[in-house]
Amino acid sequence: MGSSSNTNTSGGGSDKEDKKEDKGKGKDSAEPSFKEGDRVLAYHGPLLYEAKVQRIENLDDEWRYFVHYLGWNKNWDEWVANDRLLKLTEENIRKQQELEKNQVVDKSIKSGRSTQHKLKGSNAESKADKDDTKSLVKGKKRKSQPGTEEKDRRSSESLLVSQFPLTLKKQLVDDWEYVTQLGKLVKLPRSPTVDEILKKYLEHRAKKDSKINDSYAEILKGLRCYFDKALPAMLLYKKERDQYTEEVKGDVSPSTVYGAEHLLRLFVKLPELLAFVNMEEDALNKLQQKLLDILKFLQKNQSTFFVSVYDGNRKGADGSKSK
Amino acid sequence: MDNVESAPDSPVQAPPSSASSLPKEQSQVELELRLLQALEFYPPSKLKGVHRHFVLYGLMEYLRKSLDRQFSADEVLQLLDRFFNLEMLKPEEDEKDNFSQGEEFSLPESFLNKEE
Repeated sequence: MGSSSNTNTSGGGSDKEDKKEDKGKGKDSAEPSFKEGDRVLAYHGPLLYEAKVQRIENLDDEWRYFVHYLGWNKNWDEWVANDRLLKLTEENIRKQQELEKNQVVDKSIKSGRSTQHKLKGSNAESKADKDDTKSLVKGKKRKSQPGTEEKDRRSSESLLVSQFPLTLKKQLVDDWEYVTQLGKLVKLPRSPTVDEILKKYLEHRAKKDSKINDSYAEILKGLRCYFDKALPAMLLYKKERDQYTEEVKGDVSPSTVYGAEHLLRLFVKLPELLAFVNMEEDALNKLQQKLLDILKFLQKNQSTFFVSVYDGNRKGADGSKSK
Repeated sequence: MDNVESAPDSPVQAPPSSASSLPKEQSQVELELRLLQALEFYPPSKLKGVHRHFVLYGLMEYLRKSLDRQFSADEVLQLLDRFFNLEMLKPEEDEKDNFSQGEEFSLPESFLNKEE
């Protein structure tokens, strides 16, 4: 006996009322997945950003959400569909971090600036640019300089890092280990000092080119200048702070106290520093070639420029616990 | 000798770059024009800060490329002197961002990962 009594609940067949929770593709004729005031994660380009739903509306059976990206200028607010939104859950936050990590590794950017961009408010950048991911980074210059595209510069910046001589990389890793893991320090003052090393390089260069090369001279002056400023600001490990205060007093310039070990660390930071100069791509490439030449010079003289043993004595205490 | 554009007086032999005074023969207009163009990329205000040597390097390169001869740092500075009183320049405010904090040094991940 077939009967269609009302115990027959509708199971199969029409799925018109199918409510999909998170990602409703196409038409969601039922309820919106998010409501006003909800905190969500929204895709903008390849990355996810925390956002807040300001308004919602239903257009042609589709829900659309007007989102504001947290920490961004409201010029970036926009209407998005469900497919760009994710619920703010731990799992999705992990996804956000993963996307970010992959992106940074892909571009092998060592400059800190570009990854800060997405979180600070932008200065009224043109909405038209928004959809272009690259412009997300481009739009973040603190001053608009004509000419050099930041994305072009990025690829040439990493030249210095990507061609960093291998043995010098190892030197830096050993250096890191001695200081941060083994609690040792480079004995100061060094010989040769940064100043002396740079002078030696200039002499070496003059011999090769059989005349004084003005470009190199200027670059070396620039490096010394950077070194003196950068050393206390960004070239020291925490454990080296006390030593610095001890050894560098008053007018003393760090380039007359420290040596190759710390000079090498400057090279790691150079792309970041040079970004502020906003150089033309050609000039930057030329510069990087020259900087690599200096690194090779350091490498050639590695055994005489660098210490092989770090000091186990800290603060001049007696009884060396070296080795 | 037909070379670049309009050189009314023919600078047949470019003077050596170590010359401390600029050649009077070079088309003054072109020289100054190129310099002013260069300043779009390398504003004079940056010539006072910690980046000044690299800014100067950038200028030297720019002029070398567009005028096809070596320029010494001094030459470029002299050129600039025609337009600006370099003494009076104030350093950029930007620098405070980079050098004021005592941020700890750290190696990029890729360096540490090289260890097998």
